[in-house]
Amino acid sequence: MLRHLEVTTRIERDTVIVDVTGQIDLGTSPALRKTLLDSLNQTKRLAINLTAVTYIDSSGIASMLEALREASRTEARIILFGLNGSVLQVLQLTRLTGVFEIRETEALALEA
Amino acid sequence: MNLHLTLDMPSHPCFLSVVRSAVGELSGICDLSTEECTAVTLAVDEALANIIRHAYKGRYDKKIKFDCLVDEEQMVFTLLDQGEPPDMRNICAESADELALSGRGTHLIKAIMDEVSYKRVSEGNQLTLIKRLPSFRTRANS
Repeated sequence: MLRHLEVTTRIERDTVIVDVTGQIDLGTSPALRKTLLDSLNQTKRLAINLTAVTYIDSSGIASMLEALREASRTEARIILFGLNGSVLQVLQLTRLTGVFEIRETEALALEA
Repeated sequence: MNLHLTLDMPSHPCFLSVVRSAVGELSGICDLSTEECTAVTLAVDEALANIIRHAYKGRYDKKIKFDCLVDEEQMVFTLLDQGEPPDMRNICAESADELALSGRGTHLIKAIMDEVSYKRVSEGNQLTLIKRLPSFRTRANS
């Protein structure tokens, strides 16, 4: 299991996709936060690929929430996709599944 | 089964994944469901992160004593630090705003664990988290 975090970006059609791999915790969430906020300077459509995320804590959730706030301010859109069981469980525990736009796959996120 | 696991760890986030691995594996051995293993791991991780962030103000060179005691009834996690004592007024104080950027960790801990208690002891701040095990819950309910 990957213990650190890799965050990369790519562009598909009109959407910036942030691919996240590994574990998001107190030590690694600042890198995710920076990439999300930087990416929002380049696009009005941001999709976060969480397929390869094996763990997320409240600091990771807070990073995505901060990006969502910024997106709301700049009239951009954020879509999460590829949530596995544990990531979805943490979103449910924090009662935030209704706050984020969530799609199952990248294709569905791009069509949204 | 009785098991006692102790770990003297630096207050550096890179050690959080080590504790998560241990807690996750132990929870599985204790017959907790996959969801409960994830939840208990999250609760312990959030508690450690709070110590690093709040008690030690983000300093990574301090010490945390992690202690896990498992018997047939429960898992008892005890975390000890020598940082700033928690301000009890701030614990779970930000529940009103669902989009708040902080304060979620303590809510998660309380929602997941069966008992949570904070105590100031001579060695520092002691946080105890208790999770009842399925076999004990079954007996207690029958």
